[in-house]
Amino acid sequence: MSGWARLDPRVIWVDLARMALSLVPLFATTVLFGGELTGSVLWPAAIIAVTGVLASVGDLLRWVKTRYRITDELLEVRTGLLVRSHRTIRRDRIRSVEATAKLRHRLAGLRVVTIRAGDRTATGEVASLRLDAVSAPTAEELQTELPAGSRTATPAAGQVPGETVLATFRWQWLPYNAFTVWALLSAAGLGWGAHWLGGMVGLDLFGSVLEAARRSPLPLAPTITLAVLIAGALGVVAVGVAFVAEQWQFRLVRADTPTGTVLRTSHGLFRTRRVDRDDGRLRGVELRRPLLWRWTTATETSVVSTGLGAAGMLAGGATVLPKAPAADARRVAEQILGDPAPLRAPLTRHPLAALRRRLGWAVALGAALTGLAWWLGRVTALPERLWLAGGVLVPVALGLALLAYRSLGHALVGPHLVTSAGLNRTTVVLRRGAVIGVTLRQSVLQRRLGLVTLRATTAAGQGSYAAPDLATADGVALADATVPGLLTPYRAVPATVGGVLAADVTR
Amino acid sequence: MADLTEVLTPPRHRVERRAMGWWALRTAATTAVAGGVLLAGYLLITPWRPWTGPALLVVLGLGLAHLLVTPPWRYAVHRWEVTDEAVYVRTGWFVREWRIAPLSRVQTVDTVRGPVQQALGLATVTVTTASAAGPVTLVGLDQHTARRVAGELSAITARTRGDAT
Repeated sequence: MSGWARLDPRVIWVDLARMALSLVPLFATTVLFGGELTGSVLWPAAIIAVTGVLASVGDLLRWVKTRYRITDELLEVRTGLLVRSHRTIRRDRIRSVEATAKLRHRLAGLRVVTIRAGDRTATGEVASLRLDAVSAPTAEELQTELPAGSRTATPAAGQVPGETVLATFRWQWLPYNAFTVWALLSAAGLGWGAHWLGGMVGLDLFGSVLEAARRSPLPLAPTITLAVLIAGALGVVAVGVAFVAEQWQFRLVRADTPTGTVLRTSHGLFRTRRVDRDDGRLRGVELRRPLLWRWTTATETSVVSTGLGAAGMLAGGATVLPKAPAADARRVAEQILGDPAPLRAPLTRHPLAALRRRLGWAVALGAALTGLAWWLGRVTALPERLWLAGGVLVPVALGLALLAYRSLGHALVGPHLVTSAGLNRTTVVLRRGAVIGVTLRQSVLQRRLGLVTLRATTAAGQGSYAAPDLATADGVALADATVPGLLTPYRAVPATVGGVLAADVTR
Repeated sequence: MADLTEVLTPPRHRVERRAMGWWALRTAATTAVAGGVLLAGYLLITPWRPWTGPALLVVLGLGLAHLLVTPPWRYAVHRWEVTDEAVYVRTGWFVREWRIAPLSRVQTVDTVRGPVQQALGLATVTVTTASAAGPVTLVGLDQHTARRVAGELSAITARTRGDAT
C-alpha cells in the first residue's frame, strides 16, 4: 500500500440506509398511526429524523474528503471540508490497532479501525487516528501490518499464524456481569422506551401501570417493593442480554505477528470488536475486585500498557477479560505476565498506623455528616431526627475503613512491583523497568503517624500507581529497590530496612 | 522514625525568597476574583444576602489565612536539586511531595514565566516524562538559574536515546 486511498465506498450505502431508517419513526407516527399527534410523540421522532439525516450527510461529506496513506514510516490521514486536517502517526509509535463494527458495518462488510500511538497530544491524551470505515479484509491487513511498524511482507495467504488461546467465553461469567447497579437504570430506560413506543400507537403505559398499582390489593409498601423487584429483574435480564451480545464468542489470544506477539481480544454478536495490543508495550496487569461483589470473588482484569492511557482505558482498550471469578482472572493474568510469581507472592501488610489513619477519617467524615444532618434538621423542613442516621453511618464508615486497610499490601517479586489498595481491592503488577520516577507523599497527619504514600510513575496505563501508607523507612527502601540506585545518594540509612531489600544497588 | 527527612536527605537548593511574594500574589488574585464575584452578588441580588454575606466572609477569611500561612510554609518545604542522574524536588506545604525522576526518562524541558514571575525575576522549569501523572516542576527559581538548569537538563537528556518510556 502506498498512494492515497479512500475509505470504502460502501460507507455511502450504509449512510443512505441509515438516513432512510432514521425517517421511519416520523413516517410511522404521521402516516401509519395518523391520529394522535401530540408533542411528546412527535418531538422525539422529529429529533431522531433530523439528527439521523444530518449525521448521514456529514458522514457522506467526510467520506468524500478523507484520504489515508501508509508509507514505510508514517500513517497519514487527510480529512475535513471546512477545517482541513492532515494528521500523521509514526508507524514505530503505534501501540494498538482496534477494529470495531456496529451491526450496520457488519452487514456491509465494513470495519472501523482505530490506531493508537504512544505519543501524547498537547492535552495529554493518547494520539489516535480513526478510519471509519474500511472493508473487513483491509482492516485485517491493517491489523497485521501496522503494529510495531513492520516492514516485512505479510505472511503468505493461507498460512495460519500461531496463537495461544488464553480465555474463551464462559456462561459462568453471565451472573457476574448481569447483576450490576446499572440493572435498575436500564430498567428505567426500557420502561421509558416502552412508554414512548406505546404513546406512538396511542397507549398510555404509565397510566395503566399506575392504575394497576392503585387497584392492587396489597398495601403501599409491599406494592412499591414488588414494583422495584420486577423492574430490577427486568433490568438484570436486559443487562445480561446486552452482556451476552457484547461478549459473544469472546476470545483472548496471544497471537504471532511478523514482528512479535500481540494480545488480541475479539468478541461481539451484532457489534464486533477486535483489539490487538502489542506485547512489546505491555508493562503489567491490573486486577480489580469491586467491593459489592467481593463475596462472589468477581474480578476485572486489564492490562497496563503504554499507549493505552486513561482515555483508552475508558474506551475499554485495556480491559482484556470481562468480570469473571477470581480463579479465571488470576489464571489469565498469570499467562499474560508469563510469570505466576507476582500474583502468588504473599504481600507485605502495611503498618497498623495505616488502619488508624483510615479509622480516623471514617470517624471525622461520619461526625461531619452527622453534624450536617443535625444542622439541616434544624434549619430546613427535613425531619429533625435526621442526625440519628449518624448512628448507622459511623459504624458503616468504620467497617469500610477496616476493609480498605485489609486491601493494603505490597511486594517486590523479581522484576515486578506489586501493589494492592482501595475499597475495590485493586492489585497492580507493574514491571520495575517501566517505572520512570518516584513520588513520596506525606501529609502532616501522615508524618505524625510515620506513614508515607509511594507513587511509582510510569508511561503506561494511568500514569502512576500508588502504594498508600507504608512505614516511612519502608517507603524509601521500596522506592530505592524498585528503581535501583535512584534514591541511594540521598538515603540516610543505606541498608536493609523493614524486610525490603535494597536490591542490587549498582552504584 | 516518622518524618521522611530522617531517612531521606532533602534536595540541596532552596527556592528564591521572592517566590513567597509570587505565591502570596497568586492567592491574593484568586481571593480577589472569588470575593469580587460574591461581593457583586451581595450588592446586586438582595434576597440572597443571607447566603452570600457569610460566604463572602468565609472566602475572605480563608484567603487571608492562606495568604499569611502558605508562602512561608511553602518556602520552608520547597527544595530542588539536579544532578547528572536525576531531577529531585520537594514541594507542597500541608502535604509534602518528594519527587525524583531519572534523567534518562526525561522527554522535554521547558521554562515558563508568567507575567508576575517576570516582574519578580522568577521562572518555572517544567520537566516532562512520558508519564500521564504530570511533569516534575521546579518553581520559584531565579530566571538566570532556571535558564542555566534548563540548558544543562536539555544537554543531558539530548544524549539519551530512545523514547524514554
